[in-house]
Amino acid sequence: MDDTRLPELNRRTILGDLRVIVSDFINSKDLLVQLTLRDIRVRYKQAALGFAWALLLPVTIVLAGLAVRIAIAVASGREMNGHQLAGMAVKSVPWAFFVGCIGAGTSSLTGNITLVTKVYFPREVLPVAACFAQSFDSLIGLCAVSVLLIPMGVTLAPTTAWIFLLLPLLWVYTLGTVILLSCANLFFRDVKYLVQVFLSFGIFFTPVLVDAAMFGAKGAPILMLNPISPILEGLRLSVVEHHNLLEPMLAPKGFVVWHPWYLAYSAVWAVGLLLIASVIFHRAERRFALFV
Amino acid sequence: MTSARAAFDRVWMKFHRGETHDSLRDLIPAVAKKLVGKGPDPRQLDGGDFWAVRDLSFEVLPGQVLGIIGAYGSGKSTSLRILTKILEPTRGRVDITGRVGALIEVSAGFHGDLTGRENVFLQGAIMGMRSKDIARKFDEIVEFSGISAFIDTPVKRYSSGMNARLGFSIAAHLDPDVLVIDEVLAVGDFLFQERAFGRISHLAKTGIPVVIVSHQLDRIAELCTDAILLEKGNVAFRGTPADAISAYIQPRTATTAPIEVEDGTPIRLSTVQLLDEEKVISGEWYTVRIEGTVLHALPESLEPVLIRVRSLLTGRILFASGSQRMDVTFPKNGTFRIDLKMQANVPAGSYMIEVCAYDSVAQKEITRAPSVMIRVSDPNAFLGTVQFNPRMEIQAL
Repeated sequence: MDDTRLPELNRRTILGDLRVIVSDFINSKDLLVQLTLRDIRVRYKQAALGFAWALLLPVTIVLAGLAVRIAIAVASGREMNGHQLAGMAVKSVPWAFFVGCIGAGTSSLTGNITLVTKVYFPREVLPVAACFAQSFDSLIGLCAVSVLLIPMGVTLAPTTAWIFLLLPLLWVYTLGTVILLSCANLFFRDVKYLVQVFLSFGIFFTPVLVDAAMFGAKGAPILMLNPISPILEGLRLSVVEHHNLLEPMLAPKGFVVWHPWYLAYSAVWAVGLLLIASVIFHRAERRFALFV
Repeated sequence: MTSARAAFDRVWMKFHRGETHDSLRDLIPAVAKKLVGKGPDPRQLDGGDFWAVRDLSFEVLPGQVLGIIGAYGSGKSTSLRILTKILEPTRGRVDITGRVGALIEVSAGFHGDLTGRENVFLQGAIMGMRSKDIARKFDEIVEFSGISAFIDTPVKRYSSGMNARLGFSIAAHLDPDVLVIDEVLAVGDFLFQERAFGRISHLAKTGIPVVIVSHQLDRIAELCTDAILLEKGNVAFRGTPADAISAYIQPRTATTAPIEVEDGTPIRLSTVQLLDEEKVISGEWYTVRIEGTVLHALPESLEPVLIRVRSLLTGRILFASGSQRMDVTFPKNGTFRIDLKMQANVPAGSYMIEVCAYDSVAQKEITRAPSVMIRVSDPNAFLGTVQFNPRMEIQAL
């Protein structure tokens, strides 16, 4: 093959890629809506549990947490209070959302092989639609938890407004993770098995069933290195404990359990991961049809 | 007239035979090799690699309908997948101006649990239509598909024909700047195929650039203004649809220009043309004019003008005869003109008339004229394979 007479492919820049990704998304909003509707409709059609599906995972998480907390309370001789249960309930829905998105999103490309190999459309739409469909479930779960918080003694406060930053942050972080994993799973099929392992044991490295403070002065900061930990702890502290997240919080034993830098750390992770994942996905997508 | 265009500029596409590494265990050594500069050069063939498309260039402008023909594995569908941005070429450039509409795998996005109605919106969106456009054209799409009674039934209960009809109907209502069609001309039953073909003809005549891949040569002949024949990923022939089809059916002999005869060949056949309208009515007479030159004395073993009529639907020869059988006397030297009259006693379709000089001793063609294509129409749409020109007279008794 004589290289000199062949035209070069267009050189890509990260900024140029991001511009194309955004414009593709704007042009594909109708497709995104239709794929999201497809996933929601298919999930609820012929489903015996109907919308109760949306509550199944959060309820299971709360029950598991309850068992863990009761065991800890019995061992330590301290009683459980309503706020501890409320804290778990508040964190259960976002965690269920994260797990659900990763589960559905990782195989969103390999589960649509015919589309990926035969029809052109921006492939990013598939994992994003999986996240949107999961958001619908989580919205139902969130409504149910909001009602349940009342008998647990949780009231509305100005700090509750932090959910309007924390939930989008969780969404962005989840989206970045899903985009990256769906792409990786297309090229390497063992990714989905690794993901299953991480999802099964991830709950032990994330403050869902327990609070970060329970890990002590050394353990808590390590747990908060998990980018999703500050988001979940932030939700609990702002909604249940009515703590302003712009101020640090100390545990009764005197160590720091919350610092505003935790929030910034998660935000950098979320936005950074989404940008990097989008560019990697975009650059790889024209090879999807060869490898899928 | 639209300004849209589609062009391939020296496009190469490499594929790999067998499995590529698809586990992380295989990735690590591959990445390590790449990092130390020992990875494979993407522009060269590695073990198991092959070129599915090699140095392919073409341009389709508004008003042009390009047909791509060739055997299985010749690179037709790969070219279309590159054109529709599903694949990125290994090398070369693809330029497309305007929105591409693709009639490829027209029901690929259907979900069995969703109803026909829901799938119309889903598949339409996958093909690039906006929801409000789908809603506006919904009744038209359903009516075209002919399955309106089942539109609220889950498509998993549809027959494959119903699936294909609904999928085609959605695709046929796209409003693209460039249209790409891959093997969707044989959708559904005969009546639907005719309707589908009519729709594609209509789209092709709107002046947008169109690229068609099909094994239905008669359809290529009827729809296309230009055609290329692909062999092993490369252009083996480029020209009119008739010549490209002829080259496909009879490799190495078809051409758009008169064939240069070898020294000593006694006859040259320069032109073959249809004198009447290009569209011939089934059962009626038409005239083909053949012109050539006698260069030397014609040996007895030579059939100076052999005529063959070939069906483009099947590729089979339906009729063959020659000037000797028709007692034609050629001049000893110089140019000649033959007006050949024949009856088109065949069903509607596209047919190729091939003219050559045939040596019965050597059992080979010694020269050949450019082929001519005729399109036969039949207003009465008779059933069967031969036109008997029936006439009925009735008398009251």
